[in-house]
Formats: sequence, structure tokens, C-alpha cells
Amino acid sequence: MTAIERYAAPNSLDEALGILQQGEVTILAGGTDLMPQTKAGRIAFKATLMNIRNVAGLSGVAFDGDWLSIGATTTITAILNDPLVKKNAPVLAEACDHFASDQIRNAGTIGGNISNASPAGDTLVPLIVLDAEVELASKPNGAVTTRRMPLAEYFTGPGRTKRAANELLTAVRIPLPKPGHVARFYKFGARPALDIATISIGIAGVKKDGALTDIRVAFGAVAPTPVRAKRTEAALEGRRLDDATIETAANAARDEVNPIDDVRATAWYRKELIHNMTKRMLDHVAQA
Amino acid sequence: MNVAEKPVIAPESLIGQRIQKKDAPEKAAGKTRYIQDMVVPGMLHAKILRSSRVHAKIKSIDTSAAKALPGVHVVLTAADVPNQQPIGVARDHLPLKGERVRSLRDEIAAVAADSDEIAEAALKLIRVEYEDLPIIAGPEDAIKPGAPLIHPAPLDADGQPKSLPPKTPVAFAGKADNIAMRFDYTHGDIAQAEAESDVVVEDTFQLHYVTHCCMGVSGVIAEFDASGNLLMYSNTQVPFLHKREFAEYLNIDPSRVRIIQPPIGGGFGSKLDIYPFEVICIFLARAAKRPVKMVFTREEEFLASPTRQPVLLTLRSGCRKDGTLTFRQVHTLHDNGAYTSWGATTPFVMMQTFSSLYRVPACDYHTTVVYTNNPYAGSFRGYGNLQATFAIEQHMDMLAERIGMDPLDFRMKNAQDAGEVTGQGMTFKSCGFKECLTTAAERSDYRRKHADNIANRNARGPVKRGIGIASMLHVGGGAKIYPSDGCGTILKLDDFANVTLITGASEIGQGSETVLSQLVCEELGLPISAVTVVNNDTAITPWDVGVHASRTTFIAGNSAIGAARKAKAKILAAAARKHGCDEAELDLRGGFVVVAETGEPLVELARLMRNLHFSDKAELVMTTFYYEPPSVHQDKAFKGDVSAAYAWAAQVVEVEVDTDTGIVKMTKVTGTHDVGRVLNRLGLEGQIEGGVVMGQGYALTENLIVDNGVTRNPNFRDYKLVTAPEIPEMDITFVESMDGEGPQGAKGVGEAPSICIAAAAANAIYNATGVRIFGLPFTPEAVYRALRGATPKPHWQAWKPA
Ligand SMILES: Cc1cc2nc3c(=O)[nH]c(=O)nc-3n(C[C@H](O)[C@H](O)[C@H](O)COP(=O)(O)OP(=O)(O)OC[C@H]3O[C@@H](n4cnc5c(N)ncnc54)[C@H](O)[C@@H]3O)c2cc1C
Repeated sequence: MTAIERYAAPNSLDEALGILQQGEVTILAGGTDLMPQTKAGRIAFKATLMNIRNVAGLSGVAFDGDWLSIGATTTITAILNDPLVKKNAPVLAEACDHFASDQIRNAGTIGGNISNASPAGDTLVPLIVLDAEVELASKPNGAVTTRRMPLAEYFTGPGRTKRAANELLTAVRIPLPKPGHVARFYKFGARPALDIATISIGIAGVKKDGALTDIRVAFGAVAPTPVRAKRTEAALEGRRLDDATIETAANAARDEVNPIDDVRATAWYRKELIHNMTKRMLDHVAQA
Repeated sequence: MNVAEKPVIAPESLIGQRIQKKDAPEKAAGKTRYIQDMVVPGMLHAKILRSSRVHAKIKSIDTSAAKALPGVHVVLTAADVPNQQPIGVARDHLPLKGERVRSLRDEIAAVAADSDEIAEAALKLIRVEYEDLPIIAGPEDAIKPGAPLIHPAPLDADGQPKSLPPKTPVAFAGKADNIAMRFDYTHGDIAQAEAESDVVVEDTFQLHYVTHCCMGVSGVIAEFDASGNLLMYSNTQVPFLHKREFAEYLNIDPSRVRIIQPPIGGGFGSKLDIYPFEVICIFLARAAKRPVKMVFTREEEFLASPTRQPVLLTLRSGCRKDGTLTFRQVHTLHDNGAYTSWGATTPFVMMQTFSSLYRVPACDYHTTVVYTNNPYAGSFRGYGNLQATFAIEQHMDMLAERIGMDPLDFRMKNAQDAGEVTGQGMTFKSCGFKECLTTAAERSDYRRKHADNIANRNARGPVKRGIGIASMLHVGGGAKIYPSDGCGTILKLDDFANVTLITGASEIGQGSETVLSQLVCEELGLPISAVTVVNNDTAITPWDVGVHASRTTFIAGNSAIGAARKAKAKILAAAARKHGCDEAELDLRGGFVVVAETGEPLVELARLMRNLHFSDKAELVMTTFYYEPPSVHQDKAFKGDVSAAYAWAAQVVEVEVDTDTGIVKMTKVTGTHDVGRVLNRLGLEGQIEGGVVMGQGYALTENLIVDNGVTRNPNFRDYKLVTAPEIPEMDITFVESMDGEGPQGAKGVGEAPSICIAAAAANAIYNATGVRIFGLPFTPEAVYRALRGATPKPHWQAWKPA
């Protein structure tokens, strides 16, 4: 049984941060992670349950200079259908298209997906290869302050991030793509819908003269957090995307991940998938 | 042979029409009130504490803290119910376990409280001390010499085996080994048949755990009235058997047990046995003197409802070069789990497939069912036939390949025809098997695709296409498992010519209310809307053996027709009397008594009914009928014509195998079913489509992972049902073999559509890749491993107890 003593549904960021500052707060967005996890006894509610869905300005997609800013309570469905996302970060829309089911996408938020910090979270890998940053707000001394950090550095373990207890994740920001920018996402689930990723792969870079530069490769569900694959990136950076490069990169990918056995797959199979599908994605990029 | 003439269908006939299920609007509107929705005034909520050890002695149970929790009314353990009787097929099962737990689903204590939450909290306060025992994690371990016993005989104070009267149930007397049951069947001379074979193949097949996943989980409400009569609201598929069992259990007259079934959210065989939770709920209601409701959570449903029977099966088959089958020899090891339920008896059905799907001169079948510390298996749509067909239909392809014969020709050469009597004594009165094979093959372009796919195996690209065929035989006219396989009907016409059809047959979502109404209306010339079906109260409905064995349309249908014909005769006689004509000249159509030859209306039926009722004779039209099929109970050697009719089908499965990931995509299923006759076309299509998807889940995605006695994935996140985008295109056609005994010529079809899919998928994967996989399921990782040669071929040395 739960011991929620107080329910709050603030309308402004200022108010929300004030409540957070008092401590002992569980943040509720779409609830699609929070509710199953509390019910299963994996996490316990704190004294205050704060619903952030009414907080003005936390939802929606907008330009912010050279960045695309996505508010923390923007739902997966909203991202999937957003024209700015489609144009400037299509790979994120693609990830949302493989995310859960309509019902979950209508409730689940991108802020929740990031904050839940699952190594299998579907938006994380594409966001990392897009060089996304998170924006965190707090009100330590009566005034609102914000800080930003690259998403790739944000995760510290399964369910753990660098967010302080008094901070709220307010947005995730993606730099607008350079000319020639390509990005791909692949999610392996045992079935095409409603599945948690067995592995996922994100690849991005700038394609010029048959080679990729500014390469970013990230993998999901092969480590305690989503991870950048530096050795795979190195095997690709600036090289012509020919069969030999692709095979070298796919081998590097298989060798650098260190997944585990669980009910969904063995480590061996995950490594095989990483190899085979990294290769297939690079083949497609080369042919495109 | 017993085949009926197919009548010319009158334009107003309901037979073969697409008729909406009677319960569809309520269900689609969310208005159906299932047991979950039911509130009985004063009721308590119950939960069961299950074992946290796979195999252990119980040293002590302390319920004092649970009892002290405010809101808790009753806490029971075995010690509180000294007169527990064993339940289950082998009487090896006490509802509450007091001394020993044998699997994680074992019930140790139960709580009735003011709410589910309080009951749940009380469970957490119960302290159980265990002493672990060695675990038997698989059936092969159970038969090793010196294996620990799951049901050891109890010892007396001196450590000597207790002396017990003969016939003491296993639950009290124990067993000297881990063998729960044996089945041995033979016809023909195996040695000679093998000697005459040109080709012999032998392989081991491994069939896994799956479970039913009914949307409506297990649940019951029990209540005693002031006189000690028991009323149960129950999801059971077998209300009349339950009534008797509970009465025996409580040592009361069966007339004092009444079972009402609220709408049931799916059964598929899972609600066919008597289960501990039902008895425990009765104990709680008796102790609390209040109604007690117990409904499983989804997790509990995964952990503590039955599974399909897992099987290890070694099959040896032979044929001659000309394609004639010579023999089959089958040994299976069935993992019973800790207790015996219907899963143990699946050999009844499995051996039929081995002995009789094709003509085979010699067949030798042996099953050993062994106790382990795993969850126990029950009955599940197909009743062993999916497992048997998986093995046999792969061997058909393998033998065909060895003798260089087309797999379809090989099947046609050995397929049964109408009129044949098999080694087991099954008599095929109607049989559309060959037409099923040719139709499914032609419609799917099987021969061409099969050859093309082989030619394309080594083409570039990771995705390979495959096509595979499989066939099945299943009972289609009931199955005489009990002394009676019958069903009773009471039929009543009111003074507006509306019909109340009171039938023993339960509705579990399969559409029986609709098809039975249809059959009655066909006799009485009335629209479907004229019928109200009453089918869920043992105090009202006549006896029926239960929903199983694809029997309801056939058995309850014949029973309903029988009652309707009696009513019709009564009505026509009255009309003839009144109008001074010969009743043989009259008929019932469109709500009127008509002159049969011309169709000219004589009198409105409703009017005639009122005349009868309110005349000085004051006659009511109310009839009864009991239908008992002309089938027989099998003898001890498993011989006898156990069903009044047999159903046939051939299904062709097409797949795409992604060799980089192992993903098998089922692209199309072409199925042809001998259904005898199409009654409700819509219901039939729904039944087949649903069955195909269930077969697909068995083949590709569903896998209850039981690891050292522990179920690892008791949730829909990790137990993967097929979802909408995976469902293949389907081309379903029907062969109407017009069974002479069937209602309007129809045969049962409930289980049939699931049976072939896994076998056909295995053949399709082989056709695509040249790799044959002998174990289920074909999940991506399993297929990928097999494609890389990383899966050891299952091997089980054929064995049976001396
Ligand atoms: C059936 C089902 C299927 C699913 N399938 C997928 C899938 O395919 N892919 C996938 O990636 N996920 C899946 N999920 C997980 C879940 O839906 C997603 O992670 C979702 O994005 C979570 O968002 P939410 O708004 O519901 O988060 P919530 O459950 O509300 O919150 C999640 C966590 O983040 C915290 N939190 C939320 N918002 C903030 C914030 N702004 N600042 C700080 N902390 C915050 C909460 O306190 C909580 O700890 C599935 C879940 C279910 C139930």
C-alpha cells in the first residue's frame, strides 16, 4: 500500500519548482513507467505526488535559435505527429513510431522516457546521436535557475541520472541538422509493436562524397545506460562507406558492447544483432 | 459411411448465413458484466498465499499477525481444514498444502478480508518456514534412478511406511516413483513393418510451455445460505461436473450445490478442471459465513492457471519408395508438473493423430507422464494435437524428401477416405480430408512456391521465403470420455411465439448461443431475434458434460434440434386439428404455419400459440430432448469409435525468414476445413481466424519460460501474444462433407484451426532455409541460433517403464 500524503498539480513552473524544493516529491508525468513500477513495488511513492502535466510551457515543440526544443511533457504521439520534428529530427519521429502502442504513446512523455533512464528507452538512442541536451530547472534560493548538459553524459545507471532531487527536467534540445546530415534508428523487438527493445541502434553523421563525418553511433539495451560507441565511430569517421569499412565497423560494434543475458535475449544474440543490423543500416546509408 | 444429402437451401434458410453473435453488442459496448464486475452484498475478498519455494517441507506457518490485521475475517491453512479431500484427475492434490510444497503455485494459506488490498497486506504478514528439498526441474530428471520423489509415501512415527487401506488416493498414500500415468497403444506388427520399409527416420521433438491467456482470468464467488446450500458464481466450463465434485467434496447432496456462470471471458480448456482456488474459496465462505469472492490477478493467472502440456517426443516413421507409409513408433515423456490435471491425458488425442490421421499399417504409441516440480499442465485447445501434429507433419515432409516425392502427393497417397476404420476403431463416416489438401494447396499455389523457394534458398539477400503444409484430424462429434457425452435441452414457446432455449451447453465466447438459436429457428421458421437462450444456471438448465472436445455445436446442436422438432410436431398437429387438414401438409416458415407445398400462410404462429394457451385445453408448447451421440467409450486398449464424427483440415503457412535476425514473419495462412456444413459463416470464420492466431502464437511468440521450477515471465510484457500487425493474411475455405449425424450436417471445429500452424510453420522454415527445427517456439533468437547451427538437435532416447 502506498503512502501518498499530498497530491499537487501546479500550473506554473515556478510553483512546481517550489514544491520540489520542499523535498520528498514523486514527479508524475504520463505515469506509464511510474504506475507499473510502484505497483510492482520496485519504487515507492514519496509523501507528495506532483503531477506536472498542467505546468504551462512544459509541453510542445518550438525553435529556440539553432535548436529545436521539445518540452518535457510533450507526449510521444505529439512528437510523432509534429511537423518540426518530422523535418528537423525525422529519426526521433521514427523511434516514436516504434514506441509501445497508441494508448501508451498518448500518455507517455519524452521527459518521462528520459527521466526513467531505462537503457532500452526508445527516444534515448536517437536523441544521443542527434547530440541532444537536457535542460534542468530548479529554485534553490527563491529564484529559478536552469542548467544544460549533453544527454550522452546524463545517465549514470539504470533509472539513474545526474538530475538533483530539486530539479525538474523541463526540455530536451536538439541542434538543427547540418546539410548532408543523415540519421538512422533501428529497434529490435521480438514483435513489431508493443515491445521493449532487445537492442537498439542509432547512427548519425554528415554524408559527403560517400563518407561519413561527425559520426555518432549509440546503442540501447546493451549496457546499464544507453551508450555511445566510440570505437565503432572511430572505425567509420571520415572513411569511405565501402564493404570493408562497413564490416570493420560492424565488428567493432559487436566487440565493444557488453550486454547481459535476460528473459528477452542472451548476450550472444544481442551481440550478433548489433553486428548484423549495424551492417544493414550502414549498407542502407551507403546506398541512399 | 454416413453422409447426408445436401438439401437445396431455401431462400429464407439461416443455414450458411453470416449471423452476428448474440452477445456481441453487449461486449462491444462494454456492458457485459463479468465475474470481475459482480458485487454480492456482504461479500469478502480473498487472496491465496502461494509457496515461495519450488520444493520444500513446510516446517511452520504463523498466521497470527495476519489474523490480527484489522479488516481480516478469516485466515485458513491446511491445519484449519482437517478433512481436505484430494482433487484432480489422479486425486493427488490437496487444495491447501500443509506439509510439503511441490511447486511455486502451491497454495499454503488463504485470507478473506474486507478488500483485496487488506487481504494482500495480510498475506505479507504470514510467516512460513521451509526446509528445501532437491528440485526436479525437468521430466528427464524425474525418471533417473534414485531421483527424489515428488509424492513420497508418508512414514509413520517409526519411519516405516504407513499402512493405508488399498485405493487410498495418491495425495495420502504417495507414489513409489515419479510416474503419474502411462499410455500404451499398439496396432499392427511394428518389427515387420519396419523391415518392409525403404526409409526410416527418427527424431526427437520438444514442445514447450504456453498458457491460455484468457482475457477473463480465473474467478469464483462462493456463498452458503442459512441452510448450508452452496451457491457459486463461477467461470467454469463444466458446471455439472463441478456441481457433483463439490457436493462430493463437502459430503452434501448435489441438489444443494448450484452453479451460476456469469459471462465467461474465454476458456480454451483452462477452466475444465476443479482447481484449488475454487475449493479454498468455498472453505473461506464456510468459515466466514459470508459470500467470498476470489479473482486472480494477471500475474497469478500466469503462475497458477494450467499450461498446455509440454512434451518430449521421439518419433520413428517409415515408408516405402512408392510413398506408402509403413509404421510409426512414438515415445513421449510428458512433464506433468507437481499434480495431475487434464494435461496428463492428452495422449488420448495424440495417439489418434499418430494412429489415424493417415493410413498406417502399424503404430506403436507410448507415453509416460512424470511428476516434476513445475507448474501443472491442463487441457488447452487441441488437447495434445498441436504437439502430435508438430512431429508427425514434419516427418511427413522429411519422408517425402527422402524418397523424392512431392510432400502433397505423399500426403494424398496416405490420406484417409470416408468409410475407413482405423486401427483404433475410429470410423470415418464423413471425410473431406483429400479435398482439404487439394483445395488448400491449389489456393495457395503450394507446389509452385515450394519448388521456387528451394531454388531461391541461396539467392542474395537476408530474407528467405518458405511455404509449408500440414494437416489434422480431430474429434468433431464430441468425445465419449465420460459414460455420457450428452446434452439436454428444454424448449418453450410463449404466447407471442418467442422461444426460450434452455440448454446445458455453456457459452464461453465461442458463439454457442448464436448457433443453437440458429438451429432452432431453422426448424421453427422464426428469426434469430425470437430466441432467448438460458444456459448458465445448474438449477435451471438440463445436464451437459461441459464445453470441451469441440463438441457444443454438434452435441448441443443436435439436442436443440431434437427439442425444436418435438415442438414443431406439436404445433403442426394442433394447427392441423384446428384447420382440419393433415399435419404432414404443413410447415413453419416466417413466423407462420404454412401449407408446405405452396407456402401459403395458414395462421400466424403467435396467434396459434395464444389460441392453444387460452383455449379450454390450455396447452403450452414446452418440450425436452436429450441427445446422446452414437459414440463409444474406448476400451482399455484405447480402441473404440470415440466420436460421432471427425473433423479434418489442411493449412498452408507462408513465411519470410530474416536470416540476419531470425525473425519469422508469417505472411499468409491458407486453410481448408472439413466442417461438415457451414452453419453460421461469420462465427466459423471468427473461430478459424482466432484459432490460427492462437496457433501462430504457439509457433512463433508465446513461451512460458519455466526455469528450475520458476516461471520467469508471468506478464504480457515478456510473455508475447501475437499483436494485430503480425496477424497474417488468411484465406479460409470450407469443405462441406455433410455429416450424416451432425446437426444440419455440421461437425465441430473449435479446436481444429490451431492444430496445424506450428507444424506447417516448421515445414515452411525448412522450405525457406533448408534448416529443420525440432523444438518450439520459433522465436527470433531460437531461429537465428538454429540457422547458425548453434542449436543442439534435441535428443531423447525413446523409453518406457518396464
Ligand atoms: C505497456 C507499456 C509499453 C511500453 N513500451 C515502451 C516502448 O516501446 N519504448 C519505451 O521507450 N518505453 C516504453 N514504455 C515505458 C514508458 O511508456 C516510457 O518510458 C514513457 O516515455 C514514460 O513517460 P511517462 O510520461 O509516462 O513517465 P512517468 O511514468 O510519468 O515518469 C517516469 C519517471 O520519470 C520521472 N519524471 C517524469 N517526468 C519528469 C520530469 N519532467 N522531470 C523529472 N522527472 C520526471 C517520474 O518521476 C518517474 O520516475 C512502455 C510502458 C508500458 C506500460
